[in-house]
Amino acid sequence: MELSESVQRGLRTLANASVFDGTSFQALVDVSFWSLLSRQGDPAVLDQPELKHIDQILVKRAHTAAATFILEAVKHNADSSTLSSCLEELSFSAERTEIINGIYQTHKKELDSLLASIGRCPPRVNDVSWRLQYHMKNGHVDKVNEPFYSISLSTENEGALEDIDFTCTVEQLQDLVGKLKDAAKSVEKASQM
Amino acid sequence: MEEVDRILIHTLKQTGTQVSEEIDSVKQFSSELIVEAVVRCIRVIDPGLGSTLPTSIPPGMSARFRVGMSLAQACQDIGYKGEIGYQTFLYSNEPEIRSLLMFLVEKLPRECAEASDQPTGKLVVLQRLITAAIKAQLSVPWLPSNCRLPLHGETKSSAALHSFRVQPLSLPHYTKGAGKMQLKGGFPPVKDYQQDILPPVTAQPSSHASVVASILEQHTAELTAAQEWENEWNSQGLLSRLTPQDYCSRKLSRLRKRIQEQLRSAALASSESANGCHYSTPDLSELLQTFKSPAPPDIILTKGTHFTHTQKYTFTRDVVAVTSPISAGHQLESDTQDHQQVLTCFQQQAQQLSSDVDQLIIDMKNMSVTHTQVLHELKQREQGNSEKEEKMQLKKKTISLMPDADKNLLQLQLLVEASVKRVVNLASQWEKHRAPLIDEHRRLKELCSNQDLESSRKLLEIKSLHDKIRVSTEETKKKEEIYKQLVTELENLPQDATRSAYTLRILEIVSNIKKQKEEITKILSDTKQLQKEINSLTGKLDRTFAVTDEMVFKDAKKDESVRKSYKYLAALHENCNQLIQTIEDTGTILREIRDLEEQIETENDNKTVSNLEKILDDYKDIRQENSALAAKVREG
Repeated sequence: MELSESVQRGLRTLANASVFDGTSFQALVDVSFWSLLSRQGDPAVLDQPELKHIDQILVKRAHTAAATFILEAVKHNADSSTLSSCLEELSFSAERTEIINGIYQTHKKELDSLLASIGRCPPRVNDVSWRLQYHMKNGHVDKVNEPFYSISLSTENEGALEDIDFTCTVEQLQDLVGKLKDAAKSVEKASQM
Repeated sequence: MEEVDRILIHTLKQTGTQVSEEIDSVKQFSSELIVEAVVRCIRVIDPGLGSTLPTSIPPGMSARFRVGMSLAQACQDIGYKGEIGYQTFLYSNEPEIRSLLMFLVEKLPRECAEASDQPTGKLVVLQRLITAAIKAQLSVPWLPSNCRLPLHGETKSSAALHSFRVQPLSLPHYTKGAGKMQLKGGFPPVKDYQQDILPPVTAQPSSHASVVASILEQHTAELTAAQEWENEWNSQGLLSRLTPQDYCSRKLSRLRKRIQEQLRSAALASSESANGCHYSTPDLSELLQTFKSPAPPDIILTKGTHFTHTQKYTFTRDVVAVTSPISAGHQLESDTQDHQQVLTCFQQQAQQLSSDVDQLIIDMKNMSVTHTQVLHELKQREQGNSEKEEKMQLKKKTISLMPDADKNLLQLQLLVEASVKRVVNLASQWEKHRAPLIDEHRRLKELCSNQDLESSRKLLEIKSLHDKIRVSTEETKKKEEIYKQLVTELENLPQDATRSAYTLRILEIVSNIKKQKEEITKILSDTKQLQKEINSLTGKLDRTFAVTDEMVFKDAKKDESVRKSYKYLAALHENCNQLIQTIEDTGTILREIRDLEEQIETENDNKTVSNLEKILDDYKDIRQENSALAAKVREG
């Protein structure tokens, strides 16, 4: 896990017991997690009574660094040992490392889902219903006599249900099934590397 | 043999052979399994050779025969010395198969084992993680959608997704070095802003969804910028022998110049080509102005048109900016007309005022120019005045000296001579001073060049040191990663492969063999001793017989009874000889019997009967196939 110069400096400030004493350290760490996890950005998030006596620029720097550090750790899926070694390098005391680690572990799931919510996801297929139909004739041709499938995929995207309906001939259906089998096989192959 | 079989089966499984769990010795191998195992081993040993071989036995008998033949050929190609043929695979017997498999397993390249020892990069680790994640997801059983519980970790389907949208963040930056500190001190408003107004980063982006993306992006940008700078500084910056700040400022000015030139040429071209397009030129010249870093204010003043233009531009924009919220607010109250009028009135006033200001500025400029001109003239006049006064004083002096001309002339000559002497004196003194100074100068120059050399040498050293540091840090990182990986691998390793148990077993076997060897040597020596005894006894017998024979033979000529006894003696000897012979014969026969029994046992082991039956069946199959083919040919 690489950290940039400014983040490292901010974290060192945070680790410095002469700048952030016990209560203000706890308050800042809490605020950093909370500000990332809360639904809306609150400009007054740093107006905590515990942080009043510290230079606001230092507080803001430390807050930025802590938020960046947390996000990077989640991005790398860092476990507690990696986190601790990283914090120790930045001259955090064992007690403070423990505090950060504890809060990190309790919020890891939420942070994971926060990061996972960035991006796009195709709708997932929940179910499928099908019907085999027979096309006998139409306005132009008297004798068509072809079977065709009408398929309805019930999909789910971001919690919203949606049906995708289409019809296809037997060959097209076979093609689709072949493609699906291919996909399943490639996923299996990817899991056996 | 169990140990060997287990090792063999383990290795075969590694090559990809599907050995089921129940099979734990070579005895239980079916011929299909044997063929598959052998083919997979050959494929690993020699991919070119193995790719043509099928892993499964075809149903047709003749095809089976052919597969067996080709497999035997392939094994011989690899270097198998033992007896091998199609029968080895189709009508298997245990020891042959075991020896063949052992040979193949020994031939297997060790690369697979070595490959895992090689350092794996980040990419491989990531890929492994991905693989593990996919595996875990695949192992989760499928559930109908209405049976799915939220605790199944279906975060993706429930939470709303945001695209990766980034907004620039403003951070309270760190000051670098003392020089910039002063600069910061000169801008207390910036500090105040950062202290009091600047919102925390998590509140800066307009929508909260882009907070995470923005922070990550900012961090990555910083990291990459630092890396880029590191690279550049190591490759070019160090060689330029400047401090980092100087290097940066020089590069900045160079870049500015280049951009300026480019823009200027582009602006010229566009203004020449398109006269109708008025807007581009002033905008570009504005840009140029901003690029002139600390531009002195005079330059802007002299280019009056540009200045007024920019002023007007910013002014009107300000007006618009100020009025737009007001108008927006009043639109809601639907009495916009009045305010529009007031607004236009104000705008007109503003424009009037601005044009007035322009006019006044131009006037001021003119005035200042005339002012400086007048000042200049005044100075010139004063100078002329002082010169004339000096001339006048000189003339006054000469006039006062005129009455006593001769004496004064002499005095003047003396003065001139004295001054000439003084000049000569001074020149010699100067020479005296000059020589050491020149020497000093030369010395210093030399010193300078020496120092130059030294510094370049040191630069090179520094560079090499930098490289070394980089290389070693990379190495340590790599090694740490390898260590971590190996530790995890060790944890993941199945605990059944106990090396020490194997070595213990091997040691036991070796000691057993030693004991057996000792016993064998003991038996051998016993046998030798026996042989010796037998030999000595036979020798003794022969000798006693010869002596007795002679003695009895001598007496036999004289006495009839002795002759009889001689005959008996001969008969006795002959009979005894025969007896010994028979005993020896029985011994050899017994040995032969034992050999034959052993042979029968091995033959029994070879499943000869069943194999023969199989061969008979297969022979029937082939005949049937042949007859079927013949019938087809006839039909065809």
